[in-house]
Amino acid sequence: MTQPILSARDVVKTFGSGHTRVRAVDGVSLDLAAGELVTITGPSGSGKTTLVSILGALLQPDLGSVKIAGQEIATLGETALSMLRARTIGFVFQSFNLLEALSARDNVLFPAHLAPGGARAAGARADALLDRLGLSARAHAMPGTLSGGEKQRTAIARALINEPKLIIADEPTGNLDSHSGQEVMMVLHDVARDQDCAVLIVTHDQRIEEVADRVLWLEDGTLRDRKAEPRKLARDPVCNMLVDGGLSTIFAEHDGRRYHFCSERCRERFVADPQSYAAGGALATAAERSPT
Amino acid sequence: MLNWTLRELLLAPQQLVASVAAVAGAFLLVLFFEGVFAGESVQIVALIDKTDADVWVMQKGVGNMHMTTSFVSDWKVDAVAEVEGVAKATPILYMNTTIEAGGRNWFSYVVGVEANDPRVGPWQMAAGAAHPSPGGAVVPEIFASDAGLKLGDTVRIGGRDFRVDGFSRDTFSMANSISFVSFGDLADLMNSLGAVSYILVDAKPGVDPQALADRIKAQVENVNALPRAVFVAHDYSIAVQMGLNIIWIMTLIGGALAVLLTGFVVYSHVTERERELAVMKALGVHNRSIYAAMCAQALIIGGLAFILSLALMAAAMPLTAVLAPKISLAITADAVMRVGATALAVSLVAAVIPVRRIVSVDPVTAFQQ
Ligand SMILES: Nc1ncnc2c1ncn2[C@@H]1O[C@H](COP(=O)(O)OP(=O)(O)OP(=O)(O)O)[C@@H](O)[C@H]1O
Ligand SMILES: [Mg+2]
Repeated sequence: MTQPILSARDVVKTFGSGHTRVRAVDGVSLDLAAGELVTITGPSGSGKTTLVSILGALLQPDLGSVKIAGQEIATLGETALSMLRARTIGFVFQSFNLLEALSARDNVLFPAHLAPGGARAAGARADALLDRLGLSARAHAMPGTLSGGEKQRTAIARALINEPKLIIADEPTGNLDSHSGQEVMMVLHDVARDQDCAVLIVTHDQRIEEVADRVLWLEDGTLRDRKAEPRKLARDPVCNMLVDGGLSTIFAEHDGRRYHFCSERCRERFVADPQSYAAGGALATAAERSPT
Repeated sequence: MLNWTLRELLLAPQQLVASVAAVAGAFLLVLFFEGVFAGESVQIVALIDKTDADVWVMQKGVGNMHMTTSFVSDWKVDAVAEVEGVAKATPILYMNTTIEAGGRNWFSYVVGVEANDPRVGPWQMAAGAAHPSPGGAVVPEIFASDAGLKLGDTVRIGGRDFRVDGFSRDTFSMANSISFVSFGDLADLMNSLGAVSYILVDAKPGVDPQALADRIKAQVENVNALPRAVFVAHDYSIAVQMGLNIIWIMTLIGGALAVLLTGFVVYSHVTERERELAVMKALGVHNRSIYAAMCAQALIIGGLAFILSLALMAAAMPLTAVLAPKISLAITADAVMRVGATALAVSLVAAVIPVRRIVSVDPVTAFQQ
């Protein structure tokens, strides 16, 4: 593997103190190489935004090291850090964060002012990006008049304008319809493949997981690579839903077997009368290829 | 960045107008108090200033005019006239008293002047004779407008009736007024027995007033002599101590309010932009540029407010002259510079404090709130 663009080691971040203390990121290590597309999934509040903010040099970790393009960010001065943010990293925020005073096109061009060549040289690139993201007609609209999807696509174009080596997107399709969502994911995928970028996306979108090089799962502040592990799909014997047996924490033992459930309610119904459910559940758990 | 700075400011024009108007209102208050202070300061020494003598001679031990009495024997007028470098020596009588006019009492300097010598007297007239004849008085025009006094009406000065011969302008302030009667009448009233109060000295061309004053003191016994500028300065400082300091305190309080209001407006302006500033920082904008943008916006708000307050003050001056003629307003370059410098300095400080807080934290911290 070539030198990673992003290399994080044992990153820890806690918020608050005393009984409100939250360990949002708990000892995460991660390498990301050029051309790689990696997704992070996890339950709400599991620390995804916190983690990618640290990896995108927007938040200092309490412990651990983060190197971007070979530079340890904790040691960077204010000038080097702002240059890194402007030129090496393209960040797409969960909540768009467009500059309200500037039109969509000027928002896209804003980071270009911070890169060599300036905004003039980037004009054609901005128009091409707007076109590709289906925003040509809205280029001169103000953010206040854009729909959520248009805002997010503008934010993505803004993240790409300086052709950064590392792109981090925090739930970029969360506010998009499925068509725009797919378009956005294709753009990010193409960028990883064609521009030799490292792309890290926080998403719940199954389609991008299919094309991702790695699918990471963040829970309680720690990362697991889900693609590397065999999936242990099990069928909930009560409602018949498929649940990931490797991740599910709701289960019950019956007759020497372990049954997984989608929710606490299903588990309670099962426990109340295991006999009537056990047969169906046992049949369906043919999918469960327990490694142990 | 400059583009953003200006567009961002114009994004909510009503808000900008409200901020500028609030700050301008505060500055106007200060300018107004400063104007009253300066106007009163001019007015309080108007008699000395407008009479335009090179040297004032007075009783030994006396150094000013406001709230004092001075007696100099009349033969000293000739003695002063003979001192080398003196072109002319003119005696005046002077007392502080209250004038009853139109059923009201007015504090006034009463100056006794020789009817046949126009050397001393009112410098600007509104109506009537400029020099009072025996039994007559020239009083401020305000007496007419405020107490309904007309030419030929009677006023009481020191318990004696005088006929109003004329109305003068520019002889009234909140702290004092200036009236003129004939020398003989005032001599009677003061029972001055041939003494005079002050001797006004005109120097020959090219004679230094300070040197002349020193010479008079040396050659004429028991008198004090002061060049006009020194005499004005003495009286001014006495007046400030005795009454104007109230206006000065009001100016200070107004100034403090203006500083607080400006600080508050600019501080809120920047704080409201906390999220946008954090986003810019996240996009890679240098802290320096964020400081520059917010300082520029603060200076624009402060500068516009300052210009607006000057314009309002310019409009307030003629308006005050009509609506509240008793208030003397004067606007000095000094006051304008002081208010302008304070406006800009406060705006800058009020912008820098929140920007410092915003740029000192990690950018995401600001927009997670
Ligand atoms: N600035 C902060 N101060 C205090 N607690 C915080 C802060 N930011 C995040 N947290 C807490 O850290 C945990 C992780 O939050 P984070 O936003 O990273 O989760 P997330 O996985 O992105 O969630 P979501 O899927 O809802 O976006 C949460 O418990 C959250 O309340
Ligand atoms: Mg999040």
